[in-house]
Amino acid sequence: MMDFHIEQWRAWAPGLDSDDAWQAWATHPIIVPEGDAQPSCDFLSAMQRRRLSRLARMTLHVAWPLCGEDEQLPLVFASRHGETPRTFALLSEAADGQPLSPTQFGLSVHNAIAGQWSILRGQRGESVAIAGEADTFEHAMVEAAALLSEGAPAVLVVIAEERPPAAYDDWIDDVPFSYALALRVRGSDMADHAQAGERWQLRLENGRDHSADRTWPHALDFVQALYRRKDTLEHPWKTRRWIWQRVP
Amino acid sequence: MNALQQEITQLIIDTLNLEDVTVEDIPPDQPLFGEGLGLDSVDALELALALQKRYDIRIASDSKDARQHFTTVASLAAFVQAQRDACAN
Repeated sequence: MMDFHIEQWRAWAPGLDSDDAWQAWATHPIIVPEGDAQPSCDFLSAMQRRRLSRLARMTLHVAWPLCGEDEQLPLVFASRHGETPRTFALLSEAADGQPLSPTQFGLSVHNAIAGQWSILRGQRGESVAIAGEADTFEHAMVEAAALLSEGAPAVLVVIAEERPPAAYDDWIDDVPFSYALALRVRGSDMADHAQAGERWQLRLENGRDHSADRTWPHALDFVQALYRRKDTLEHPWKTRRWIWQRVP
Repeated sequence: MNALQQEITQLIIDTLNLEDVTVEDIPPDQPLFGEGLGLDSVDALELALALQKRYDIRIASDSKDARQHFTTVASLAAFVQAQRDACAN
């Protein structure tokens, strides 16, 4: 059983960039049009933005205001599929016998965005970059729980997915649209009751996933629960049943 | 700024994805690296690749002169022009 105090959160998806927009989405969840919208990240100079991919911009956009100016916060960056557009572009260049872009090649690792966050925010502490299955979100929370139990006062968790290029359609079916969610979490204790935010428990049970149809990705389902004040969520995946319970 | 310098400046902006930066923002004699525009070694590799593709020239990465050629837009333009002239002869 893991206890979390979610002090702050922030989410982004194409066309969903305000509480009102997310509230409306949470009430009537739809597959929003993908387009090529991306956060401007205009809190950075043009020189600082030059190597930020769309997924990096989404990550920085949601994470930026959740970390204090002079604060050091451990980061958990989670993405099941990572930067598929970059991977596809590099593979296409290789297939054509073209030289690879040094910049794109240099950033083609799963922890590149965590590294860019560290550089841009002067973060010198721990960061973790993970990729799991459809329950990558919950595994990110397990990482956060581990960091908190090691003594971190708070942890920044970002889960970000980008709609992959069409070439991946036969293999990737769990990214209806690009999205990023940042959570600033602390361990939960009695003193937290008076503080702003939400308290949730997460536990893992054994089980078989019998549900035939997939619903929303777990992180988006969680965003919906936050806005609709739901109390319980169940996220089954293969033999794992993740159960989220709001603590009043 | 001559036409080739202008072209190379635009190539730098496009290749390195410098948003909101215009050709006028990068004077031909401004140092591109370090204290000047602020480019770094990865940018140099990226730029070398773009120049080779655009102008069909060779840039030896171990060349002692490479650092000199990449100092400013003006020095890059002079280098590209010299390479072109050499090929034309």
